[in-house]
Amino acid sequence: MAGALAERVFAEKLQGAGFTDVWIGGHRPSSIDETADYPLFTDEVIELMRRTIPPERHDHVTTGVIVKARKPEHGSGALG
Amino acid sequence: MARDLMFQDEIKDAVRGAYAGIVTGAGERVARRFYSEDELAELPAGALAWALGVGDPVRYALLQPGESVLDVGSGGGIDSILAARRVGASGRVVGLDVLQQMSERARTHASEAGVDPWTEFRQGEMEDIPLEDGSIDVVISNGVLNLSARKSRALAEIFRVLKPGGRVSMADLTVEGELPPEIANDQSAWAG
Repeated sequence: MAGALAERVFAEKLQGAGFTDVWIGGHRPSSIDETADYPLFTDEVIELMRRTIPPERHDHVTTGVIVKARKPEHGSGALG
Repeated sequence: MARDLMFQDEIKDAVRGAYAGIVTGAGERVARRFYSEDELAELPAGALAWALGVGDPVRYALLQPGESVLDVGSGGGIDSILAARRVGASGRVVGLDVLQQMSERARTHASEAGVDPWTEFRQGEMEDIPLEDGSIDVVISNGVLNLSARKSRALAEIFRVLKPGGRVSMADLTVEGELPPEIANDQSAWAG
């Protein structure tokens, strides 16, 4: 989650790569408790989250989204 | 004390090490959070147990029979299997994962699901996708782009392998505002 982007930045990166018709939806808040279900997170980092993130944000630490976009029929992307 | 993880290679090693180090998935809790009962019924138990994504990108991908699909960061194979069911035997699914053991796990699950004749799993990085230009109709991924320290490069690679008119459907995490620096610099927080 430490590498998660803001929605606006996500969309800008897609457009920068050459994508069009960028759509972001399906928003779903994710809590610390849900984060703890993933074995990738150590108990220490979950505890660190509980200590350093304000309690009012514990139920919405990140937001799961669906991002859709399309490669144009013509034209090239950022790598040419 | 949190360490400063400014370097791309260090982040990549942290993510790879975290995924290589887990010996079990989330035990179906994650799968049941994001997938419908109908979708769950299509999947072998191992694929459910190893679901580590953050959404259901296949549901939004509107896959058609015969299409070619790339699943970036295919993990235990749950989304590749669902995609393979949608595109059918006239289509093609390629799962890409940085870890060989994840690809082997996904291969087993795809075989159990009966979609292995048109589904393959390759080891590779999203920033250097081992596929030809313009070879894929649809790219899906699930909770993977946030793991990359070179997101623009990964997106450029996805763009490259898509056919003209091709599309992406990705589930991922977003944040508004900044995470506390202790979290942002923690290896475990980068990996999940």
